[in-house]
Amino acid sequence: MTDRAKLRHLGLDLPALPTTTVGSLPKPPDLQAARAAYARGKLSHRDLDAMTEEATLFWLQRQDEIGLDILVDGELYRGDMVAYFADALEGMTLGGLVRSYGNRYYHKPIITGPVRWVEPITVGWWQFARAHSRKPVKAIVTGPYTMMDWSFDEHYPDRRSACEALAAELRKEVAALVHAGARLVQIDEPALSARPAELPYAIEALRALTDGLDAYFITHACFGAFETIYPALLDLPTDNLDLAISQSAVDWIEVFGRHPFTKDLSVGVLDVHTHRIESPEQVATRIEHALRLVGRDHLWISPDCGLKTRTVEEATAKLRALTAATARVREALAATP
Amino acid sequence: MQTLLANHSSYPRIGDTKHAQRLRRAYADRERGHITQSEFEQVESSVLAEILHEQAAVQLDWATDGQISWADPVSHLVERLDGVRLNGLLRFLDTNTYFRQPVIEAKLRRHRPLVTREYQRACAACPVPIKPVLTGPYTLARLSLIATTAYRSPPLLAADLSMILADEVRDLVAAGARMIQIDEPLILHHAEDIRLLRELLEPLQNATGEAAQLAVATYFGDAEPLYAQLNSLPADILALDCSESPRLLDAVAQTGSSKVLALGLINGRSTRLENPDDIARTLERLLHRYVHDSVYLQPSCGLEHLPRDRARAKLALLPDIRRATT
Repeated sequence: MTDRAKLRHLGLDLPALPTTTVGSLPKPPDLQAARAAYARGKLSHRDLDAMTEEATLFWLQRQDEIGLDILVDGELYRGDMVAYFADALEGMTLGGLVRSYGNRYYHKPIITGPVRWVEPITVGWWQFARAHSRKPVKAIVTGPYTMMDWSFDEHYPDRRSACEALAAELRKEVAALVHAGARLVQIDEPALSARPAELPYAIEALRALTDGLDAYFITHACFGAFETIYPALLDLPTDNLDLAISQSAVDWIEVFGRHPFTKDLSVGVLDVHTHRIESPEQVATRIEHALRLVGRDHLWISPDCGLKTRTVEEATAKLRALTAATARVREALAATP
Repeated sequence: MQTLLANHSSYPRIGDTKHAQRLRRAYADRERGHITQSEFEQVESSVLAEILHEQAAVQLDWATDGQISWADPVSHLVERLDGVRLNGLLRFLDTNTYFRQPVIEAKLRRHRPLVTREYQRACAACPVPIKPVLTGPYTLARLSLIATTAYRSPPLLAADLSMILADEVRDLVAAGARMIQIDEPLILHHAEDIRLLRELLEPLQNATGEAAQLAVATYFGDAEPLYAQLNSLPADILALDCSESPRLLDAVAQTGSSKVLALGLINGRSTRLENPDDIARTLERLLHRYVHDSVYLQPSCGLEHLPRDRARAKLALLPDIRRATT
């Protein structure tokens, strides 16, 4: 089944160049303050949930109004993409703060015992978003390889064992999402290119995570040396690879020329780490460049990573540039046979 | 045989208490314009004093400034040069840390010291000798993008960076540095360039003269295949990440070393705390054919990959290992 046929089979009728975000969206200042108050014990879980729901509704409405085709819940209930799942899995605890870049830190988890999925982690939030949206909502789960690579391991004998255990348990979360009705599921694997020698078992872990589940799978990876694991990357059991390559120094036209890309490709066309707002012209140029990599039926458009580090205003402006540019390119494509 | 204890390079700049996170808040406040640069530097200096104190408290022979003002191992040095623009983020080797890729747009010029003022600031706040650390010319060139005809190839860019860093080394020596570490992790992934690295390090070693020792550090990869060639580099000290491969330990044990070694036997990327007695036995095995009268014991890499409390605990293992070594 082709990727478009699979989408239709799943009841998803998407336009050319489907637009979406990678997942996280900025927390409005009042939600940030509420999370801080909750952490200090000054706000109840129920009150925090109510504020998170309110912010999620805001972003669902905002994404719709901006004109994105596939929405996300914005991950406003998550702090960090790894720590959030680690906190919910048995056998993992949150360690101290570790810096990732600039002034960004995260609680790097520690695997202290056998990892075990206890109950649905994100399903409730996905259902909430789905119930309040007229457009498809993508479910997003951090993948087992990245969970392993971005955690300390004090339990398993080696990295592979930890990755396999995480895959087996996280599959239960993905299955629960699909069972709840999710048809678009994104697995975040930004660590994928970290150690090329480990790619074979990272691929097997993703297979264990998704095999036999009836959904269109997107694998998101970012800021890595993907050229070092291409074309082996094509062995990933996924329908769509989301790569932050639009500003890459690598000549991907040449790379794909040697080994044709065989999946749908999501290209990141917004730099999420700069305050600067891209113009629609800049974004259109990036999309047009990406159209030289894959055919129009196989290209999806997104930012290069989650937008949570930007302000609400910056993220909104950036996404408006993305949808405006996509509309412009769609018009040009429609005029071209 | 003298066992000397050293920090490797970076050190966590924040911890988990509110007070230990003041530098993080100061960064954010500076970005929002809520505090001045001078106020930010006051906070940074107090954090520097704190981490220097932590290193002195565990009786290190060589401390570092923890690279607490570095955004990343690449851009901190290169952005201070004329001819450079910083591009988007890229992952730094196999870590969950990132660097802004330098785009070289014109011939590089160093018109001010890169880290010498940071070195002097650390020296003024610490009774223990400070080892300044520079990312080396090979790694910097490998991680940069050339967008100018001033450099026709990465080796030519690396050669210019070598001369620039040699000027920095001269300034550091003039400021009192007696040991300078050059980090070259990328060479472990490009063994074919070992001859180029040798050429690139010569100006740096010449710049140290008789006044200081030059240490070359590799990490985040298996150094065993290159171990013999690393021993031929123009440097006084070879710093090795011993956490990546048991084969490297065998190579050191079986062949000794033509250079003084700085052995990274404490894993700087794992929260598991090593048993000092086990490490002491490993150290004894490694020194079986070692002919020098001193050896350095240090973490395998910068400790900023760990939470602050665990980084401190790792450093605290070093004197225990020294005591347990016969």
